[in-house]
Amino acid sequence: MKASMSDKPKVKVATVWLGGCSGCHMSFLDLDERLVELVKLVDITASPITDVKEIPDVDVGIVEGAVCNDENEHVLRTLRAHCKVLIALGDCAITGNIPALRNQFKLEDVLARGFVETESTQVGDIPGSPNVPTLLKRVRPIQEFVKVDAHIPGCPPDADTIWYALTKLLAGRMPKWTEKNLCYD
Amino acid sequence: MIAPKKITLTIDGRRCTGQEGQTILQIAQANGINIPTLCYLKHLSPWGGCRMCIVEIIGSPKVVPACSTPAVDGKQVVTNSESLRKLRRSTLELLFSERNHICPFCVMNKGDCELQLQGYRHGIDAISLPYLYPAWPVDLSGKYLALDHNRCILCTRCVRTCEEMEGTHTLDISHRGAKNRVVVDLGATFGTSDSCTSCGACVAACPTGALFDKAAAFRGKLGTCQTIRTTCTECPVGCGLLVYTKENRIVEVFGDFDSPVSQGHLCVRGRYETWAEPRQRIRQPLVRNHGKLEPATWDEALEAVRKAAKKAKPAQKAVLVSPRLTNETVATLKKFERVGMFVAPNEAALCANNDHSPDAMAKLHDADAIIVLGAQPSRAQGVVAAKIRTTVRLRKAKLLIFHTRKSDLDQYATLCANVVSLERKFWGRVADVLREAKRPVLVYGPDAMTSIGVAVLERLVKIFEARTAGPAPTLIALPTGTNSLTLAAGGVEPVEEVGPWLDAKPLKFLHIIASDEPDGGARLLDERYVWALLEEIDCVVVQAAYESKLTDIARVVLPATVWCEKQGTITNFEGRELPLQAVLPTRGEARPDREILEAVLK
Repeated sequence: MKASMSDKPKVKVATVWLGGCSGCHMSFLDLDERLVELVKLVDITASPITDVKEIPDVDVGIVEGAVCNDENEHVLRTLRAHCKVLIALGDCAITGNIPALRNQFKLEDVLARGFVETESTQVGDIPGSPNVPTLLKRVRPIQEFVKVDAHIPGCPPDADTIWYALTKLLAGRMPKWTEKNLCYD
Repeated sequence: MIAPKKITLTIDGRRCTGQEGQTILQIAQANGINIPTLCYLKHLSPWGGCRMCIVEIIGSPKVVPACSTPAVDGKQVVTNSESLRKLRRSTLELLFSERNHICPFCVMNKGDCELQLQGYRHGIDAISLPYLYPAWPVDLSGKYLALDHNRCILCTRCVRTCEEMEGTHTLDISHRGAKNRVVVDLGATFGTSDSCTSCGACVAACPTGALFDKAAAFRGKLGTCQTIRTTCTECPVGCGLLVYTKENRIVEVFGDFDSPVSQGHLCVRGRYETWAEPRQRIRQPLVRNHGKLEPATWDEALEAVRKAAKKAKPAQKAVLVSPRLTNETVATLKKFERVGMFVAPNEAALCANNDHSPDAMAKLHDADAIIVLGAQPSRAQGVVAAKIRTTVRLRKAKLLIFHTRKSDLDQYATLCANVVSLERKFWGRVADVLREAKRPVLVYGPDAMTSIGVAVLERLVKIFEARTAGPAPTLIALPTGTNSLTLAAGGVEPVEEVGPWLDAKPLKFLHIIASDEPDGGARLLDERYVWALLEEIDCVVVQAAYESKLTDIARVVLPATVWCEKQGTITNFEGRELPLQAVLPTRGEARPDREILEAVLK
């Protein structure tokens, strides 16, 4: 099928993966055969799935994960600047979720536990290279940094939930969350 | 008594009738109108703290909590409006932001959590407030209970349950504002708490994952479990159990609120000790061969038993059973010439001479004076102890304890003494306390059957007779053996000292049914001489669910069922015939007690 056959231009989408487990992107791929339908409507540009790093100007930005370090913040702000609609995908982006568990501890303690005190570590060192992103003092959800236009909750949101939200948004409407489509398990 | 006045009010445009004194929530629920709640539980006093059940009353400027606002005749109530939904959503957002409600690794995730459910129902996809991410500890020091402050919403359902159902008031709320928290014993942990009885009622009441059962955590969502109602066989109270199972294993055990005996309450034995069982199950019949117990088929084992039984004359044969047997086994037991039931010290007289006490729990509930004589409910019948505690603490009944051993219950007593050290002055005070009693109840256990116990009993009767007014006390016999009263009434001889019983008639064949007794029946061996007497018997058959010292000496071991595999009925101390429902299929080759007995008789 040629692109010119479609009257409507495709919606350009970029997705980013911040502090999260990539489960939301996996769940996105769980759309299975619906992905074929989806790519008829959207163009996936920068994304962990396409492995394109540079974020172009897009219509929709989708964010998985919480903001844990300065690189996460940079990517998030870049995406916000390049997209018209920003969607938070999954609980880490929305609440901080599992990555935010470290907020209960001091950052030094967290680093020491991870790089020095682990049972398998013999001689540990906390990485200090400028090439490694610096951890923020506290993990925060993305709406504390940028304006978020829609949320798709779940850990991870299941494929049906993602499909429902995307189709609604592509049709120009906001997803309406009720007990039925939130409590899917 | 004057019947309460009928009132009518309009809720969401519907005419609803109720009685004066009922709350708006009660009338709405009775009329099928759903109002969201979090801190409300039907069996507890209303708290009005969570603000989920707020409603509007036309003509009133502010919203009110439906759970704690009495309904007024003729008023118009709105339970669902845009502004109410907004307010409820704000309340939920505050709750979600205040602590660390991180669902993915919560024991209550996926449908068991009431907070999560309210979030779903109010369409919360994200909240507008920043999360506080406070650092709260998790108390995992208890043997069965755990408390995760991160998930607490301070609804006080646990605090009220602890006070109103168990009566220990172990839990309460301390500190102010954002530091407000549930405390165990003024700042102890579950592991170090003096007053916590581990009854687990607080866990059953908790709407979130703040209080949870360690053994049940992450073993499956309750919504997908099978639920089966059965009766606890740990003691003669016969509390109702609601057992959650999945793929033939027990996920969790809760009290059954439909139980006429316990009304949802359980003690640590029924709630945890039944299923968090560390002992090794006997899975197949064992027969002793050249001094060693070896696995055998049922046919081989039964053949060995029958052969040994045939060698003995009827007078040389006996059956010794646990008081945990069901009513249905009584008829089969009668076919044996000599049947004894091993009971606790001093309990033989209690079982042989006493009947059931109808409505004992209700009478304890309504009593204004409770005398406990020679019984240890806080050790042996936890739910009776809870009933006594709540009657004393909440309904201000007087409690008099005459004990042979100290117990947790003593601290709640108006008067408390050991039966061996009663002075004249003490009896004067007893008479003073009992003078005004209008609904006195006397609970007596096995130790009331000793000569000292009987003397105390007679003295108490005299005090009651000397009163100028007021009824005689309701007498409640409280044995410790599960079904001992019924088995004794069915002709099974209660035996408190096994030695003399074995010695009375020399035996060649002894069949012991230990069932799933906590010690596997091994306490029989603690008695002096019994070991030697058992060794003299040609054939000792032990029918038990668990390995014990007793099975070690048996010639033949027959695997028996445990509480959750039993089918039949038991009769509790009130005389209620209560059903036992098999919750799980029998483990290994175990067979029901009665079936084994019938096979032995063939």
